[in-house]
Amino acid sequence: MTPAGSLLTADGLHKAYGPTPALDGADFSIHPGEVVAVMGPSGSGKSTLLHCLAGIVTPDAGSVHYGGRDLSAMSDAERSTLRRGEFGFVFQFGQLVPELNCVENVALPLRLNGVKRKEAEARALSWLERLEVADVRDKRPGEVSGGQGQRVAVARSLVTNPRVLFADEPTGALDSLNGERVMELLTEAARETRAAVVLVTHEARVAAYSDREVVVRDGKARDMAGVR
Amino acid sequence: MTTQETATAPPQRPEPEPRGAIARWAADLAMGARFAVTGGRESWARTIMTAVGVGLGVALLLFAASAPNAYSLRDDRGAARSTYDTVPNTEVAAGPDTLRVADANTTFRSEDIEGKVLAPDGNHPPRPPGVDRVPAPGEMWVSPALKKLLADNELLRERLPYRVVGTIADSGLSGPADLRYYAGVDGAAFRNDAGYRIDHWGTPPSTKELNPGILLVVIIGCVVLLLPVLIFIATAARFGGERRDRRLAALRLVGADSRMTRRVAAGESLVGSLLGLLTGGALFLGLRELASTVVLDDISFFASDIRPSVPLMLLIALVVPSSAVLVTLAALRGIAIEPLGVVRNAKPRRRRLWWRLLLPVLGIGLLVPLAGGYGATSRSSDLEGYQAAAGAVLLLIGLTAMLPWLVEAVVERFSKGPVPWQLATRRLQLSSGTAARAVSGITVAVAGAIALQMLFASVQSNETKSTGQDPGRAQMGASVRVDNGAQANAAFAKYRATKGVRQVLGTTSGSVGEAHPNKKVDGEAPVETVTVGDCATLREMANLSRCSDGDVFVATSNAYPADEPSFLKPGVQVNLRLDKDGYPVTKNPRLWTVPRSAKTVTTKPDAAGFESPGVLATPGALDVSRLTDPTAQVLLRLDPKVPDAIEYARNTSAALSPTTDSYTLVSTSKSNQFTMLRKGLFIGATATLVLIGASMIVSMLEQLRDRKRLLSVLVAFGTRRATLSWSVLWQTAVPVILGLALSTAGGLALGTMLLKMVNGPWAVDWSSLTLMNGVGAGVILLVTLVSLPPLWRMMRPEGLRTE
Repeated sequence: MTPAGSLLTADGLHKAYGPTPALDGADFSIHPGEVVAVMGPSGSGKSTLLHCLAGIVTPDAGSVHYGGRDLSAMSDAERSTLRRGEFGFVFQFGQLVPELNCVENVALPLRLNGVKRKEAEARALSWLERLEVADVRDKRPGEVSGGQGQRVAVARSLVTNPRVLFADEPTGALDSLNGERVMELLTEAARETRAAVVLVTHEARVAAYSDREVVVRDGKARDMAGVR
Repeated sequence: MTTQETATAPPQRPEPEPRGAIARWAADLAMGARFAVTGGRESWARTIMTAVGVGLGVALLLFAASAPNAYSLRDDRGAARSTYDTVPNTEVAAGPDTLRVADANTTFRSEDIEGKVLAPDGNHPPRPPGVDRVPAPGEMWVSPALKKLLADNELLRERLPYRVVGTIADSGLSGPADLRYYAGVDGAAFRNDAGYRIDHWGTPPSTKELNPGILLVVIIGCVVLLLPVLIFIATAARFGGERRDRRLAALRLVGADSRMTRRVAAGESLVGSLLGLLTGGALFLGLRELASTVVLDDISFFASDIRPSVPLMLLIALVVPSSAVLVTLAALRGIAIEPLGVVRNAKPRRRRLWWRLLLPVLGIGLLVPLAGGYGATSRSSDLEGYQAAAGAVLLLIGLTAMLPWLVEAVVERFSKGPVPWQLATRRLQLSSGTAARAVSGITVAVAGAIALQMLFASVQSNETKSTGQDPGRAQMGASVRVDNGAQANAAFAKYRATKGVRQVLGTTSGSVGEAHPNKKVDGEAPVETVTVGDCATLREMANLSRCSDGDVFVATSNAYPADEPSFLKPGVQVNLRLDKDGYPVTKNPRLWTVPRSAKTVTTKPDAAGFESPGVLATPGALDVSRLTDPTAQVLLRLDPKVPDAIEYARNTSAALSPTTDSYTLVSTSKSNQFTMLRKGLFIGATATLVLIGASMIVSMLEQLRDRKRLLSVLVAFGTRRATLSWSVLWQTAVPVILGLALSTAGGLALGTMLLKMVNGPWAVDWSSLTLMNGVGAGVILLVTLVSLPPLWRMMRPEGLRTE
């Protein structure tokens, strides 16, 4: 069943890594501009759900539809194109390219889409300003703090004006103060651009920034909209 | 109470025992050694990578160290079977322990076969090395390689029709590919003074010295081949360094100081390099069996010959582990291993140019004084050799040292360009040293090879000599031993009847003296040559306007004018009968008059390059049976359409007599030493480049493994495979291209210097220069191609999983 007006939906997703099941019939949906927190304990399958939703991983069974298109029917190249243009990503660790400085890191998705360097970097700089890290534009990831690095990563995830933003524990490596600021900036920016946000977290205070929570447990996703 | 207090008191903290510096070093090295093998899969992976890398380098060093021994053992066996004694004029009287020997070498389809025919004088003839007994007439001992060749070729069996009775043992052969035989014949084969008599086999080994130009090539060649191997070993000692550094940070956390961590790292490297020594030894033993199947210019080595001398082995065993330790310590200089992690200087200190320039300048400084005078005197050549080697080493090391600076200086200027280019150049900007280190081996090899090729081109012009032969006029020649003119005519007829022979230019020559010579003074008497051949043949030897059978010519040579006027003139009477010493026999002389009608003509070189002044007579004018001890020469025109025409002709020669000297006409000849060196260096350079390519592959894979998660993230946001693949290509290509540019410049400089030393004309072998650069490009492609599958594997989303 696809909820009306959903931008991204998943039905009956199954995924196993070897003998270990990660998803066991998980369903999910998200509307444009909506922030959905995917919660659950470690190893429950929430990151796998995000990877399936984003077309990074192909589920063993079930389907993922984005804008009416079945992701599993798309080729790897088509899914890559989709991720480059329509989706944005923020992860917990190791996401910035260490050789590139911050503005180049933010500009990278645009450049992969064929935008010219100057234009890409100008747009990247405006996102860095918006996320209050324009002062580190010329620094490399190794030269900035964890909080600054995560804001740069958020800027990079938003620079292509994605329709869906996938954030996997985006504040997991930050202290609470930095974490909250990153979440404020991320959700503010997403709402402004009407990007849907799939926010994987195990922290309740991070989930508090969402409009709706989905709990993943034993590979099944349970919508908590009615519960909260 | 006291007892209870004692029981519950915390255990006393053990006081550290004071230790000397050596004990501290030993303990830390031992701890590092333990880490190398007890740290689980990752430690083993790093240790094995280092061991394999060092092992490859050690194997190559062991091969290089074996070369002198291999050549010396080969030469010794060659000397042991030689029949040319140090005093060649000493005649051995026939006895029960003497043997008549004649060379019966032949060539079969460009394979040279060395053979000897033997006829014992008594019952105890000396045996050739590797043979159980002297073969009886009709029998033959053959080398294993010749046995195989005989089995495969009917034509060759026709030429060597003897029954094979045994195989020559290794002690009688130069190498496994040696084509050799000893055949037993009866005494008749030794007619006309063919062969010689010996009472023992073997002569002292020759002490022939290489000419200074070739010696220079050898010295530079060793530098060019061995320096990259040492650089490779140094690179291999750093394999897995980044992971090791992170592990060392954990040691810092539990209280190790920075010096201790360095020693621990050195210990870890030491184990890798010691295992590398063992691996190298094992590889060497395995590969030398394979090397014994390689044949270069008819030269091959037995596996047992390929063994390094003990001092060189010890040197390798000592230098390799110690350099691994030194390299590790040097690599850790720019890194601060802190308790909370490894801190690499984000902006490494800028590389300085001055000391890097100093090395090549010093090298040039050593080479310049040798300009024009290298090898002028044999006494000075040793010292000059060392000076030349030192100069070349400094120049080549200087190039290696300059490369990191050049790479850094160039990549710093790259800021624009497409994403793959940007990713690659930024990576290089962060760690240009790693890339430059791997490439520096190529730089030395290519620069050295270019320099050597220039020297080769120059030495080649000196070593390539024109033979004076004209293969356009005749393709094969033979000197047939005959007792009389009839035999000569019969031999010519046999050649004419041979398949594939289009024309036989046969001459029968003998000596003539004056009809009435002055009294014998000191046994000397003027003697001239009379050559009998048909008009077609004589036209090949002299400028004749007209010729028909019955004509005679008196030929003089402009190229070799006689010191004294010749007694040969038209109308003069000559004596065709000469004694053993070449003096005209006056009692019952065999007189012949040079016809008055004989024209005086000038000689010209025949197809074999020889000129034959004297009397040229057609068969109708002089019956060859009247000549004393005539010699028969044939030059054969072969039919190019008949395959193996030359082999049929050689078979005819062998059938006439196994000692017939047949030869192929060629316009130029090259020094064998030179050809061998060139091939040897090419093989060495190829092996070196393969080694360096291997080290670059390992470095690239290691780097990719360290960036597995980042690669997955890049895939997550839609990065194409092609983008990262191109980035890998550029990352390899930029330093290699810079290295090749630097090495081309350095190679041309070194080559120019070397040519000035040997006074050779300046010439660049552009084809070899292109080839060298092509090999460099091949290495780039190889590294990229090998890196792609693991790159694509690591670009899978599984890398994003944290649980």
